[in-house]
Amino acid sequence: MGNYHFNFAIVWRYADKLFNGLLLSIELAALTIAIGMLIGLILALVELDGPRWAKPFIRAYVEFVRNVPLLLLVYLIFYGIPSAIDLEYDATTSFVATLSIYSGAYLVEILRAGLDAVPKGLIEAGKSIGLTPFGVLVYVRLPMALRIALPSLSNTYVSLFKDTSIASAIAVPELAYGMRWIETQTFRTMEVYLLATPIYLITSYGILMLLRLVERRYAIAR
Amino acid sequence: MTIFLQILPFLIDGLVTTLLVSGSVVLIAILLGIPAGCTLVFGPIWLRIPIRLYADFVRGVPILVLLYFVYYGLPAIKVNLTSMTAAIVALTAFKTAQIIEITRGAFQSIPIGQTDAAKSIGLGLIDRFIQVLAPQAIRRFLPPFVNSVVDTVKGSSLVSLLGIVDLMLSLQQVIGRTHVALPLYTIGALMYFAINFPLSVLSRRLEKRFI
Amino acid sequence: MNDIPLEPVISMAGVTKSFGSNQVLKGIDLAVTKGQVVAIIGPSGSGKTTLLRCINFLEEYDGGSIKIDGIEVGYKDAVGERRRRSDRDLARVRSDAAMVFQQFNLFPHLTATQNVMLGLVKARGKSKTEARQIAHRWLARVGLSDKFEALPSQLSGGQQQRVGIARAVAMEPKVLLLDEITSSLDPELVGEVLAVVKELAVEGRTMILVTHEMAFAKEVADRVVFTDQGHVVIDASPATIFNEQPNDRLQVFLSRVRSFGH
Repeated sequence: MGNYHFNFAIVWRYADKLFNGLLLSIELAALTIAIGMLIGLILALVELDGPRWAKPFIRAYVEFVRNVPLLLLVYLIFYGIPSAIDLEYDATTSFVATLSIYSGAYLVEILRAGLDAVPKGLIEAGKSIGLTPFGVLVYVRLPMALRIALPSLSNTYVSLFKDTSIASAIAVPELAYGMRWIETQTFRTMEVYLLATPIYLITSYGILMLLRLVERRYAIAR
Repeated sequence: MTIFLQILPFLIDGLVTTLLVSGSVVLIAILLGIPAGCTLVFGPIWLRIPIRLYADFVRGVPILVLLYFVYYGLPAIKVNLTSMTAAIVALTAFKTAQIIEITRGAFQSIPIGQTDAAKSIGLGLIDRFIQVLAPQAIRRFLPPFVNSVVDTVKGSSLVSLLGIVDLMLSLQQVIGRTHVALPLYTIGALMYFAINFPLSVLSRRLEKRFI
Repeated sequence: MNDIPLEPVISMAGVTKSFGSNQVLKGIDLAVTKGQVVAIIGPSGSGKTTLLRCINFLEEYDGGSIKIDGIEVGYKDAVGERRRRSDRDLARVRSDAAMVFQQFNLFPHLTATQNVMLGLVKARGKSKTEARQIAHRWLARVGLSDKFEALPSQLSGGQQQRVGIARAVAMEPKVLLLDEITSSLDPELVGEVLAVVKELAVEGRTMILVTHEMAFAKEVADRVVFTDQGHVVIDASPATIFNEQPNDRLQVFLSRVRSFGH
């Protein structure tokens, strides 16, 4: 350890790569969560209330995605598909699509459990005051399901934020890529990590704390 | 089809590396993580705090960043590890934190009445642990543990980014030579699936049986 | 009943206990002599269960003293200073005041026999063979001779509670502590459990029971203690408590309970 001279100044010059990277990571996560929730919600509803022939397909999707590494999925969609079909997209779009599909598989499970846990009595109450099935869904089932699922959702969202680091493998300029870039440019490995690790920690726990606040207000302990 | 038979040995080599890495990580993580988890639940506060801090720290950072740090960062302070060692160290650090959490959850989900009942018939701390708490904790530990093994196998794919020729990298090397991307990626996915899916099923069966 | 005054098996003097800022026990005095059955009744929050749990040190009491056969329960008197007993000491003392729980708390991974045997082997040092014989004897006594190898998940609530009683009594404790043992049972299962308790009372076991079953308390107890807001309000015979009701708060409490059909 003795011969290493810390030089933060050099690293600091490139700090914008880290902060822009962080912003991009957060954007990627937010977008992914939005799309993933949509996928998860629709598929969960289909699985619970939809035609029986749809279930095996949804099951296959969930099982496949959850048992295959994210990195492989990223490569498959970014390199694999354009080589077979005449389709082109940039790395960022590809990654968002991949992570959304990935997160959808996890969110289906969580949302299905949440919807399933809504007490039948509440649904019947909704029907008895004259709500249509769609109304019951929007005004009774969804709010309840989301509140029940909040703890699991919080953990998943934070995980997804951390998973955005995989985008660095296809050169998306998010935080992890920024770290590597500065490190290859300056060879100041230690400083970069000492700077970037707290950024990840603070952001991860920041998101978690925020979600816990929401939980305190809205979540239902079962 | 002959191409497939030609590349298969490369993929199998990669697969073996993946299994070796995953297996080592799981083993070491259990040896370190379970005692640490037990200490977190039962130990004195001056041990609990560092373990808690370690677990929270490691889990707040992506595995990839941890891998980069161990592989690129440590040599900068003259700690030179082979890529294989670095990869295993980083993955193990992450998984140990996971195991600590699972162990903690396993003990804390045991109803407190069990401890009361054990105390009431005169069992001391060691007997309470061995006869009453540990058997119940194991049942609660196994389902999430098997699940975490699946996560480890998936996480091991990241070592390909350090140049270690696991299944993921051997797959890319073969694709690089044969230019048949999509089918090969699909085959790779199926290979990972073949390892992980039985584990996932096992985890669910255990959950139904024990919880 | 002996007419020679006996050293109380349990003596509690000035016991206080707080949970955070809430003082649950505000100075409890209670003495139980050998062979007595004492029923503790009172509204929720009056401290009844806490009182019981202090006797076998499942809760650490803040002040006062609790003695089993003259020996201080949780603490050693060392040069006037209170020092908490070691884990091993505590274990010994606890098995003298075995408890039966409202939630049964049977060990789910052990059979009925094993549940009863565990304390005998580990705390009383008996051999496995001897412990098994004792366990079988007690399980038969509580009417479960066909359930020796059953797991708790295979037993009804009433059966589980009877195993709980067997587990506690098999330890031959100086006093048996029963914490609302029928409160979690379906009504039709309550009778079988109370029948066992009655038998034990008739045998001369020293018991302290916290209960809501007023008719049962009246039938089985030698004394009834009414607690309210952390104090012992009145400590008298069942006849006095239930028939005369010489206290306002007691009257209010009993009328509320009676209105539920007790």
